[in-house]
Amino acid sequence: MATTIEKMRNIGISAHIDSGKTTLTERVLYFSGKIHRIHEVKGKDGIGATMDHMELERERGITITSAATNVEWAGHAINIIDTPGHVDFTIEVERSLRVLDGAVLVLCSVGGVQSQTITVDRQLRRYNVPRLAFVNKCDRIGANPLKVRDQLEEKLKHNAVLMQIPIGLEDRHKGVVDLVAMKAVYFEGEDGADIRLDEIPDDLREEAARRRIDLLDAASMFSDELTEAILEDRVTEELIHAAVRRGTIARKLTPVFMGSAYKNKGVQSMLDGVVRYLPDPSEVENVALDRAAESGTSAEIVLATDPAAPPVLLAFKLEDGPYGQLTYIRVYQGRIEKGSELLNPRSGQKIKVGRLIRMHADHMEDIPEAAAGDIAALFGIDCASGDTFCDPSLDYSMTSIFVPEPVISLAIKPKDKKILDRMAKALNRFTKEDPTFRTFVDPESHETIIQGMGELHLDVYVERMKREYNAEVETGMPQVAYREAITRKVEFDYTHKKQTGGAGQYGRVIGYVEPMAEGAYEFVNDITGGRIPREFIPSCNKGFKAAVKKGGLIGFPVTGVRVVLNDGQYHEVDSSDNAFQAAAIGAFRQVYAKAKPQILEPVMKVSVEGPTEFAGAVFGSINQRRGIIVSSIEDGSFSRVDAEVPLSEMFGYSMQLRSLTQGKAEFTMEFLKYGRVPAAVSEELQKQHAEKKAREAK
Amino acid sequence: MIKKHLITRSPLRVFEDATHGGPGRGALAVLASPKGVGKTACLVHIATDKLFQGKPVIHVSYASRVDYIITWYEDIFKEIAKTRRLRDAVAVHDEIIKNRVIMNFKQDGMKTEQVLRSLEAMITGGHFNAETIIVDGYDFALAEPADLAKFKDFAGRMKLEIWFSASLKETGGDLAGPDGTPTILAPHVAQIDVLVALRAKSDAVEIQVVKDHDYPPAGVLPLKLDPRTLLIAQ
Repeated sequence: MATTIEKMRNIGISAHIDSGKTTLTERVLYFSGKIHRIHEVKGKDGIGATMDHMELERERGITITSAATNVEWAGHAINIIDTPGHVDFTIEVERSLRVLDGAVLVLCSVGGVQSQTITVDRQLRRYNVPRLAFVNKCDRIGANPLKVRDQLEEKLKHNAVLMQIPIGLEDRHKGVVDLVAMKAVYFEGEDGADIRLDEIPDDLREEAARRRIDLLDAASMFSDELTEAILEDRVTEELIHAAVRRGTIARKLTPVFMGSAYKNKGVQSMLDGVVRYLPDPSEVENVALDRAAESGTSAEIVLATDPAAPPVLLAFKLEDGPYGQLTYIRVYQGRIEKGSELLNPRSGQKIKVGRLIRMHADHMEDIPEAAAGDIAALFGIDCASGDTFCDPSLDYSMTSIFVPEPVISLAIKPKDKKILDRMAKALNRFTKEDPTFRTFVDPESHETIIQGMGELHLDVYVERMKREYNAEVETGMPQVAYREAITRKVEFDYTHKKQTGGAGQYGRVIGYVEPMAEGAYEFVNDITGGRIPREFIPSCNKGFKAAVKKGGLIGFPVTGVRVVLNDGQYHEVDSSDNAFQAAAIGAFRQVYAKAKPQILEPVMKVSVEGPTEFAGAVFGSINQRRGIIVSSIEDGSFSRVDAEVPLSEMFGYSMQLRSLTQGKAEFTMEFLKYGRVPAAVSEELQKQHAEKKAREAK
Repeated sequence: MIKKHLITRSPLRVFEDATHGGPGRGALAVLASPKGVGKTACLVHIATDKLFQGKPVIHVSYASRVDYIITWYEDIFKEIAKTRRLRDAVAVHDEIIKNRVIMNFKQDGMKTEQVLRSLEAMITGGHFNAETIIVDGYDFALAEPADLAKFKDFAGRMKLEIWFSASLKETGGDLAGPDGTPTILAPHVAQIDVLVALRAKSDAVEIQVVKDHDYPPAGVLPLKLDPRTLLIAQ
């Protein structure tokens, strides 16, 4: 299907967990003719909703990875990017948001604006995504969509405008009154597919008239034409649509729709809203970085949503399907077809487009081409998530999605040697899919280490290894990367001498070590007069370098140390590379304790966000974990606490926070600095290290 | 790591002597001046003096961004470290900032009860035993006398002193009523224990005690605000 750009929409459906997002998506697919049966999430028939396609997600009833699917509605092509709603997987959310032009914010008509609604709304705001609201679950006991509109205004500061009012609520929910057409809309027949327009019921007429005035007031802010038409009493539906559209795209107005996806009410009207009010790809500005631009010049290029321009696309999601690797892409500029040649500027590799497909959640459709604004998937492309592809004449990179450094490591061991291959395959896949997940083999312990953004993050991958790759692993204790540092300047004078038959060994090094504020290690050669021959100076450096790799306190690397060599002695016959290396190592070990070493630990910058009512609990939890609260910011009922907390104290924090705040607060953390550990902790770590060494010696 | 000479030789001891020991626990103090004279610097100096004594401080800000306030603390600390030739300044700095928390509120729509609730949560829930609370950027024009009474009650109940800054308009008789009390503070004066005004003179900023508990106020103090460093000096 070739679609003109004006008839394209790329949208996400964002919501608090359990707001019925997956059910809504399912209904959208159903009503647009993409699927022919309706399944429920955690359905009785054992088949989950189509968009949740990982087994693990099905089991937990949550959506972890995003999938894109294409539907048609009212002559428009809509790509729906399913955004995960769980706080622990925000990299997924952020990657999906990147490719959206608009979003539907789903709210529960009973729960209203919930903590996670606030989070996803903030994310949408960060990526400047225009949105409309769908108040779902109007069939539930206690449903009150009008209250939810008020909350959108109070809690999220949206200029939320009702486009509809409900006809009946709870078990009497039948449909909605369309405040633009001023008609009652009923969703009838099996699965609510038959839409019947009728006169507004008498008891709702007055309220509908009142709410329509509110709508016109709000919409007229964005259209002088509409304002005039109101004054002259010649308002048309088109004028209202145009004004609401302008306000929505400018992110100054949020149209509010309502219904019950589960009971098949209101979904079609919401889709009409998507087509009418959310922007097409050409109405959204996207920028890329021109890597070829000279430094100092502005390298940001605004991409042209023009099929005739050279192509630029972003691989925003990789997925391992039964037919090989599937790469989801968003085309930002130009068009691609089978045989198109593209460059991956990051790797310098050129690729040829092979099969090009459009995805439904579990089936795919071959398409001849994809043009600017479209979302599609490629087969058999080797790349990493977040890579840009462009015409070989360009050297563009879509501004990279921020990827934080991993903060936690875990040693894993296959339960059975036979699954080693499958484990490796899984790890290889995960590192490509998720830039925050890393893996390597520890050169000392020969253990496989996985690194990630938190305990739960790693748990999910351990679980996926087992389920998807049949590779069950044992995990060690989460590990924090400590450092050691000296605190005072100490002089050394060390002679390495060995004469046990054969060639002897001789080397003497004199100088001092001192702490330095920046950098990990520095070697200064201050030798004059050839006291140590030039060829042995690198040997000394090598020896010191080897010595700082393992500090004497707990065996972690020593950082921030400067070694100054200013004197020494050598022997014509017995001095050698090895002898001076050994002398340097000996010298460092000899003076290390005198240099008053201390243990440093990674300190994280932790931000906790949540409702103000839990501030006390959050303050307490940080205090309890040796944290320092730097600041707390309160805006209305929402608060953010910024603190500095040692990483070693952060284990289990997501669980503690969840239980302290009923899951209503979330936290992020990133590496801040290495800080000194308190004396008691230092002693404990040294004791553990001594015990470990004693065990190893046995 | 408390640095004795930084405390005993601080010009703030002069201020305390002149105000019968300073505001003291349970008291409200207000530092009033037009914009740009140096209120925030003064409050940060007072807070830093408490931090040097190992006493925790909560800095409440209604307006400024948190990083802006942190910069104030860094600058004032650097000035003091320089003028007092403080050795191991980095270690002292790291030690004292553990006792400082910044809390930022948006005043419009934020009720005094809620602010006090959060302060109490920080002190009790967070085990942060503040003796001093600095409140900067509070808009007295928006405040009811009842709001200040709530702060006063809180100071008494939690046994701490609260320092406010009050921004005065240069026109409209805001600067001083007949007894030297800025008109904007007149409705609140009953709740205020110590009221200090900063007045810009040609060479420096003059510091005047307008109200001192129930004692006759000391008037203009032998202290000034150094126009370069904005530190209180003798």
